[in-house]
Amino acid sequence: MEKKTKRICSVCAAAALLVLLILSYTATGTTSMLRSVLQLGAIYALAACSMNLLNGFTGLFSLGQAGFMAVGAYTFAVLTIPVNKKANVYYLYGVADGLKNLALPSWLGLIIAGLMAAAFAALIGAAVLRLKSDYFAIATLGFAEIVRICVASSPLARVTNGSLGLKNIPGFTDLGFIPAYFVPFIVVTVCLVVMFLLIDCSFGRAFKAIREDEIAAEAMGINLAKHKTLSFVISSFFAGIAGALLAMYLGAVQSTTFPLMLTYNILLIVVIGGMGSMTGSIIAAFLVIAAKEWWLRVLDVETYIGSFHVPFLRTGFRMVVFSIVLMVVVLFWRQGIMGQKEFSWDGIYNRIKSLKTRKKGANIEKANAGGGVNE
Amino acid sequence: MTNFLQYCLAGLSIGSIYALIAIGYTMVYGILRLINFAHGDIFMMAAYFMIFAMVDYAIPWYVSIVLVILVTIVLGVIIEKLAYKPLRTAPRMSIMISAIGVSYLLQNLATYLFSALPKQYPSIPMLNKTLHFGEVSTSLVTVLTPIVCIICVVALLALVKYTKVGMAMRAVSKDFDTAQLMGIQINNIISLTFVIGCGLAAVGSMLYFTPRPSVFPLAGSLPGLKCFIAAVFGGIGSIPGAVVGGLVVGVCETFMKAVGLSEFSDVFTFVLLVIVLMFKPTGLFGEKISEKV
Amino acid sequence: MSNQNVLRVCDATMQFGGVVAVDNLNLEVNKGEIIGLIGPNGAGKTTAFNVITGVYTPTNGAVEFNGERVVENHPQGKMKEMYRGQNDGKYKDVKVLTPDKITKLGVARTFQNIRLFKSLSVFDNVLIAKHTNMKAGIFADTFRLNRAEENRMKEETMELLRILDLAEHKDDVATSLPYGKQRHLEIARALATNPKLLLLDEPAAGMNPQESDDLMKFVARIRDDFDLSILMIEHHMQVVMGVCERIYVLDYGALIAEGTPFEIQSNPKVIEAYLGVDD
Repeated sequence: MEKKTKRICSVCAAAALLVLLILSYTATGTTSMLRSVLQLGAIYALAACSMNLLNGFTGLFSLGQAGFMAVGAYTFAVLTIPVNKKANVYYLYGVADGLKNLALPSWLGLIIAGLMAAAFAALIGAAVLRLKSDYFAIATLGFAEIVRICVASSPLARVTNGSLGLKNIPGFTDLGFIPAYFVPFIVVTVCLVVMFLLIDCSFGRAFKAIREDEIAAEAMGINLAKHKTLSFVISSFFAGIAGALLAMYLGAVQSTTFPLMLTYNILLIVVIGGMGSMTGSIIAAFLVIAAKEWWLRVLDVETYIGSFHVPFLRTGFRMVVFSIVLMVVVLFWRQGIMGQKEFSWDGIYNRIKSLKTRKKGANIEKANAGGGVNE
Repeated sequence: MTNFLQYCLAGLSIGSIYALIAIGYTMVYGILRLINFAHGDIFMMAAYFMIFAMVDYAIPWYVSIVLVILVTIVLGVIIEKLAYKPLRTAPRMSIMISAIGVSYLLQNLATYLFSALPKQYPSIPMLNKTLHFGEVSTSLVTVLTPIVCIICVVALLALVKYTKVGMAMRAVSKDFDTAQLMGIQINNIISLTFVIGCGLAAVGSMLYFTPRPSVFPLAGSLPGLKCFIAAVFGGIGSIPGAVVGGLVVGVCETFMKAVGLSEFSDVFTFVLLVIVLMFKPTGLFGEKISEKV
Repeated sequence: MSNQNVLRVCDATMQFGGVVAVDNLNLEVNKGEIIGLIGPNGAGKTTAFNVITGVYTPTNGAVEFNGERVVENHPQGKMKEMYRGQNDGKYKDVKVLTPDKITKLGVARTFQNIRLFKSLSVFDNVLIAKHTNMKAGIFADTFRLNRAEENRMKEETMELLRILDLAEHKDDVATSLPYGKQRHLEIARALATNPKLLLLDEPAAGMNPQESDDLMKFVARIRDDFDLSILMIEHHMQVVMGVCERIYVLDYGALIAEGTPFEIQSNPKVIEAYLGVDD
């Protein structure tokens, strides 16, 4: 495919997405579910991509995503709750003196949230990045739990409001002529573009080299400690921003907003999308969130067809179905939607061509692609 | 002084339970090089099985105990066959994700089946009897726990050390592929590992929940993590290491609570993990593994 | 010490527990030389490579590259008592550069059991090796502020692929290449780091006589084209004798002979070490 055609395709696709997004805004009524799903999906897409940068691209199996999101969310909340609402929020413990008159604008809060998460990553990275794969997973998981316990603890109560959590967090607001609804999409898009640029540059390739073979990467002059720390810090930066966006979306955060289950949810998205594929993570994030929050809601409601009581349907069944989907993906469809590939027009073009030329052969190809993509 | 003894006893007791669960982690890791994230949830499921047996079916406690242990073992083996066995040749990350998936599934399944609300754990009257040693008063289960733990560990060590199966287990944990070439039925050994691990988890579950009021679907996740840390602390793959690790974590935790830092007792456990890993990456009794270049 | 030395290994001893894998190895590579390192299986050749490239820290001894100490160590801690090699207290400092730093100084290597970046393309495999000498930081690189440098890296990579007959495979996945090409790719990748010294670990392994012959010419050619010194481990005597200017022979970790191919061929110790082992 020629470069020009590709560019035209890309512009068309972007325009189409934009139109769809605007449609989702202007259409009213039943679509309010659609709108919140899209917003939440975007936030999860950012969180999943940040995890993918570490797990899928650098080969560092981290389970600390919820912790970094919590750091981001709390940082954002503490810094941006309007001054006149502070008394209401901190009614039990009172507010720390330094914070009494502090309320930063949202955009600054977002950046500081990301930086704070990145700073935490830099701090613990020195210790945990030396650990081998599974130990690293456990250590990051431990970090996430520590964050959760600390934000709910009494010494920090005047900052994080203990187990009550923080509320009255400013939501999305109109940005000039752009309605508030689009703000999360803009932020997420900017972050994702930066991540795409990163994975496609020399440093991104170095990350991939570390994933493929640490010893060879080091022998080729790649400083393991430096690059792993970079990946960890950048991933945490975006996780922090995702956390802050989540805080804006929810309006209130507690330590229970960021359980281990959240990390698992994000991991599920990354695995379904394909470890090592950003586009995969994005697609999977919207699919998973839509399925979980919207399409599969019916599974949680007891239903009668006529007088027939549909079996199994009651609260919690949705999540069971979800877990089973995850297990099926892990066991039988290990490369996920995209494997390690990114979306490209060439890929689509080739796929269509191969479908045309040998419809029968496609099945065989699929079977081949199933084995050994990960290793 | 009395308080001190009381705390020692409590710490020893909870530490023993941690040790029992940590053994499950350490054995599975030793053989499959897999952190069995689902182990804590198997422990939680065992508690629900107990509720089922004693409350819903009113089975007498001595039968229930045996039944629960058996059912937990069956659950563990099924998990191994369905979720881990198909991935034996897959990259390690996939197996780890599979383990996380099982953990996720068990937690959601428990929420679905038993609801997210805490359920009361059935009490075995005999175990909750209060004993008095001079000034120190405690329940029977607190005293019984370390004893049960010692019996289990000694039996297990004897099994690993003196039986043919035990030798096979040691061989598999040393070198998976070579053991296979030497004619060891690897799948049987792995199943046996899960049988032992889940059996001990079931015993640990009974001892853990008896003095506690209730069970809920996430009840296994934090103890599970702590026990994994205990296993890492002692050197993963080493059974005595797991016991020592469990005791250290249990005792430290109890004393943290005793001095009024109960909020941070879990934080301490994780910090302990990071410190140990930094200075002794393979734990207290772990063997050093180096990659061939 | 002459300025001609590119690599000097001084009294290097590598002991794993009680096993002495490399025993008091002294070795020199002069500028522009092709040196062979031979010996029966398990003689410690690859371990010597790992010591030179900083993967292993020697128990005692030092490695100098272009006159600069890159590795130096002496028995410490538990090793003090277990140490079985020579120790005259000559090496007091402890200095171990990590492999990436040593590579950056100009030592590149290939691996005995090919270690390519498996799922990446041939082109990317080589391009990644250019990363170490890149000047731009992560910020400039991410936001494409170093277009010129990036383009130059890509051009150089393409040039290398052309020289090594890999240009037509540039978009293929590394592991899809035939075995011989994979070895070529490893060499291309090593060359991409702009080395002054190239360490080849059994480059002719698994090759037939014709291929080995080509390899021999190839090694000599890259030495001239890239202004390299080369140290290679090789089992194919035909290759070693054909291309190496000097040869070191290791047995049980220790150096048993050193000299020109002709001297080595007639050295009784070498014949003894190899007797019945090699053809």
